[in-house]
Amino acid sequence: MAKPKLKPEIKTETLVSAAPKWNVVVLNDPINYQAYVVVAFISVLRISAAEAKKLMRAIHAEGRATVWTGDRERAEMLALELQQWHLNSLLEKDG
Amino acid sequence: MAELRLSMTQEARTVLSDLLRLIAPAASRVSVNRANVPSTDEEIAGFWVETLTAQASEEARLLAVAFASAKGDPAVIVLPNEAQAHAFLRSLSAVRMALRDLVFADITDAQLESSEDIDDESLPTEKRHALACYACFGLLQQSLISQLCPEAFD
Repeated sequence: MAKPKLKPEIKTETLVSAAPKWNVVVLNDPINYQAYVVVAFISVLRISAAEAKKLMRAIHAEGRATVWTGDRERAEMLALELQQWHLNSLLEKDG
Repeated sequence: MAELRLSMTQEARTVLSDLLRLIAPAASRVSVNRANVPSTDEEIAGFWVETLTAQASEEARLLAVAFASAKGDPAVIVLPNEAQAHAFLRSLSAVRMALRDLVFADITDAQLESSEDIDDESLPTEKRHALACYACFGLLQQSLISQLCPEAFD
């Protein structure tokens, strides 16, 4: 009697965990003028003057604001560039 | 972009140059000390400190050269392009930071944010002098931004 051919059943499961995101946060400071902060944001974050002003106002009102979120390497680079503009920037893990 | 110009009286140039000579060595240190260098990664922290230290030296050199070469009355600082203007803006910010940390450490952030309201008659002469220079460096920044990016103002 022929044996039934057994086809092994193989189940595969791939678990993908997304790399954590990082926030670049800028704190308010009493030294740099608002227009200076706007110029710094335009230059470093490559955003429009309107967007830069919105971020600057949020920092002024709240004391801090997240100005960029994304992968760690780019976040580190942007935080450093903002420090080079003498802004009080820091890195925080998102979530 | 056309070259950018900053004018000041010869007297202001002399006073600001003298202050820069005094504060420049400390300004470099302040600039690095104030930075929020990530403490979790030694390699990154080392790179940041190295980058910020090199920049601080360059800023001190840039300011010294710019003020030394501003001749005439009014004395005019000429910045040939946007990159130089940005570097100059950052350098002025570094000096203001240094003055804040080294000379006005006892003045609160709120007072400093509206520094024109500070009753400077009550301050000792050196501090009053430094506060005037702090304001002048800020005016130079504002003048430069008004040429470079007028839309940055409200």
